[in-house]
Amino acid sequence: MKSLFKSKPKTPAELVRLTRELLIFVDTDSTTKGTKRDEKMAELSKLIRDLKCVLYGNGESEPLVEACVQLTQEFFKQNTLRLIIVCLPKLNLETRKDATQVVANLQRQQVQSRLIASDYLESNKDLMDILITGYENMDLALHYGAMLRECIRHQIIARYVLESEHMKKFFGYIQLPNFDIASDASATFKELLTRHKSTVAEFLTKNYDWFFAEYNKNLLESTNYIIRRQSVKLLGDMLLDRSNSPVMMKYVCSKDNLRILMNLLRESSKNIPLEAFHVFKLFAANQNKPPEIVSILVANRSKLLRFFSEFKLDKEDEQFEADKAQVIKEIVALEPKDRS
Amino acid sequence: MALYHHQQDEQENRKISSYPLDQTSYKLLQVIGTGVSATVYKAACLPVNSSVVAIKAIDLERSRANFDDVRREAKAMTLLSHPNVLKAHCSFTVNHHLWVVMPFMSAGSLHSIISSSFPNGLNEASIAVVLKETLNALLYLHDQGHLHRDIKAGNILVDSDGSVKLADFGVSASIYEPNTSYSSSNSPSSSNLMFNEVAGTPYWMAPEVIHSHVGYSFKADIWSFGITALELAHGRPPLSHLPPWKSLFMRITNGLRLSDYHEHTQIMHNNKIKKKFSKNFRDMVASCLAQDPYKRPTAEKLLKHPFFKNCTKSVDFLVKNMLQGLPTVEERYREESVRFHRPIPSLDIDEEPRIADAQHEETDDEDDSLVVKHRRISGWNFNENVLELYPVFPNDTHQEISPSSSSTSSLSNVTNQSDDELNKEKHDKTEENLEDCSTTSSTTTISMVDVAPLIPNLETLMDSLDIERKMVSNLLNQIRLRAPESVNAVDDDEMQMRREEKLHEMVRKLSFELHEEKKKCFQLEQELESLRHHVTNSDSQGSVEEGAAI
Repeated sequence: MKSLFKSKPKTPAELVRLTRELLIFVDTDSTTKGTKRDEKMAELSKLIRDLKCVLYGNGESEPLVEACVQLTQEFFKQNTLRLIIVCLPKLNLETRKDATQVVANLQRQQVQSRLIASDYLESNKDLMDILITGYENMDLALHYGAMLRECIRHQIIARYVLESEHMKKFFGYIQLPNFDIASDASATFKELLTRHKSTVAEFLTKNYDWFFAEYNKNLLESTNYIIRRQSVKLLGDMLLDRSNSPVMMKYVCSKDNLRILMNLLRESSKNIPLEAFHVFKLFAANQNKPPEIVSILVANRSKLLRFFSEFKLDKEDEQFEADKAQVIKEIVALEPKDRS
Repeated sequence: MALYHHQQDEQENRKISSYPLDQTSYKLLQVIGTGVSATVYKAACLPVNSSVVAIKAIDLERSRANFDDVRREAKAMTLLSHPNVLKAHCSFTVNHHLWVVMPFMSAGSLHSIISSSFPNGLNEASIAVVLKETLNALLYLHDQGHLHRDIKAGNILVDSDGSVKLADFGVSASIYEPNTSYSSSNSPSSSNLMFNEVAGTPYWMAPEVIHSHVGYSFKADIWSFGITALELAHGRPPLSHLPPWKSLFMRITNGLRLSDYHEHTQIMHNNKIKKKFSKNFRDMVASCLAQDPYKRPTAEKLLKHPFFKNCTKSVDFLVKNMLQGLPTVEERYREESVRFHRPIPSLDIDEEPRIADAQHEETDDEDDSLVVKHRRISGWNFNENVLELYPVFPNDTHQEISPSSSSTSSLSNVTNQSDDELNKEKHDKTEENLEDCSTTSSTTTISMVDVAPLIPNLETLMDSLDIERKMVSNLLNQIRLRAPESVNAVDDDEMQMRREEKLHEMVRKLSFELHEEKKKCFQLEQELESLRHHVTNSDSQGSVEEGAAI
């Protein structure tokens, strides 16, 4: 008797189609109100939950590859991704979270060894604009932020974001007072500047002046502890990456940069000076120091040497000690250069 | 259900946006808890009618630089929404602290309630209500793809109206967040649904979390839930008279340490004579504490257990039976501080807090200064009748290293025999022998995948094997006295020695290999360094030339 009423389980493609229909309804219809609309919304929530189950498996069982492929294909055949992103504000919290996880997962799904999500996003780059400006809306920031981080796994999308005007906005988002949102923006910012080496190198070379001016002013010299600590760590990661060595050479030739790093070195925090040291050592190790760098180091020689003699880690670290010895050697050997 | 959540979200969201994001809007009133890297305050939110809130101030100097763990906790506390889950109002930074503003749960944690007013545990009816509420939270979390990973009485908070909320997502994880591990333990074998990190608080940790190379999942929370049930029933988690483990290594190689366990059981035993628990309760706890994670019920299934089905009391019951006459959270914190000679932190947030636990309260085990002999445990025997967990010691941990099926089987015969003896002994209440803790086989093997970090473990293992060997030979001697024909036992003794020799040999070999690897690594690093210098030099020369050309 029961089986009479039990409908056949829907195929992944059907799930996507039904989801899309309901999203279009949510997006365009503004006349339906009350219970009718609530029912539709509940149905949509359930469908998105079902999509998640197909992609992630249901708790105990692993997802099926074939089902994921079908779902992904149908999803990107039409503009389902756009609909989900646009309609997200109209969904309830639980469904927003499910939708975010679905979108995140789809970025990694391969169909015939192609990431078709990347192709879709390439021709719909404006979606990135919606996701990024999501950081300005407290209710959406964490959902859009999580989607965004998955989308910039695609190099072509990361390049788009890096080259867009949005890059400047990140300096503001990182300074938002809400920790959860600011730290999400920081995570995305870091991902943008470290994941795709060649793209990052190209970006930093082309945009060196404004980028590091903003970086120094807003991040390294921020009054906020966590921003300073995160940004000096990220700076080290960027400059020490081989693909960024021309950028690094340029960075360590600026006396303003040196001054900022020396201030970070002096902080009373345990962690910030340590991260700052990994950048400072590059200034000292540079074999072609400009005279202005040399004169700062010479002028502060005794202070620096005294500082380094007491600069120690909690744990023993051979690499750190070797670096420190090298830096001390460089500073001791400095001669004020002839300025003529 | 979804609808209900939705409406609640809207309300909560509105509430959240009204909490200010700056230090000056809050007046810290009192310290109500200190942890390793956080202090919890009772505070007044001045612009919101001076309403009382709890503020957890997390010291970021103690966090890793990527702050991924802190970010995850903040995110979880913002996005989770369930009546039994503690949600944050907001969070913001104050110097090198992160302030998480939360609802003030005025009755504090169950751990604090128990240690102040119910040292021998709660009554079963209260336990049922509390656990049912907690299980609702767990069901929601698991449904969301979240593992809590630190379920214990210290993380279950109660409000004055009896409402119960699960708190502290400091070590929680989501199966949907790809880069979720703290460490870079991305072993290829770990699937979406499995974690390999060690997280949580030792006494409540599931065996597979301790053996973390096996990977674990939602069922680890169910284990901790079972331990929490025991904690509520007896006033302490099993083995809590021992110090928490001193090192991660011990946890990796399945090494929960044990000292004078039988002495403790005797104390517990005396308590227990007065306490009776229903069959349903004992059965529920037993199912959570199944050694095999797959045999443990899911949160959903557990909620259908008769123990919870029959629990029809509401949280009002807690108000009458548990909260009446209870000292306030602040009073309890002060009492504890005096009891443990702990300095009460001042309200100056830059002062370093000391010690221990999680949320609205203090430390678990201050009394870990005892110098104790350590032994290792390979498994657990849950004795359903007395509602207690017994540790099991490994005696053939390295079965796979010297596979010898005949001897192994005979060994387990001996073991079973000894178990029976022990049970008899227990009934006779002569629990003086070390062997009380019994021996059964464990299937732990040492993974050869990642050898280097195991060296210290193996060394520790060797030490504890010495102790274990003594135990085993004691045991065998005893058995021999009772059963003179036990030739097998002699063989086993020899087997044990041979195994140990092999182990010694292996440790030596591994140490040597490690040494060699280190040497190689050092050479490679040097090479790399010189290459890097080379490249840097040529690069910089290149750029100088360019500059000159311009």
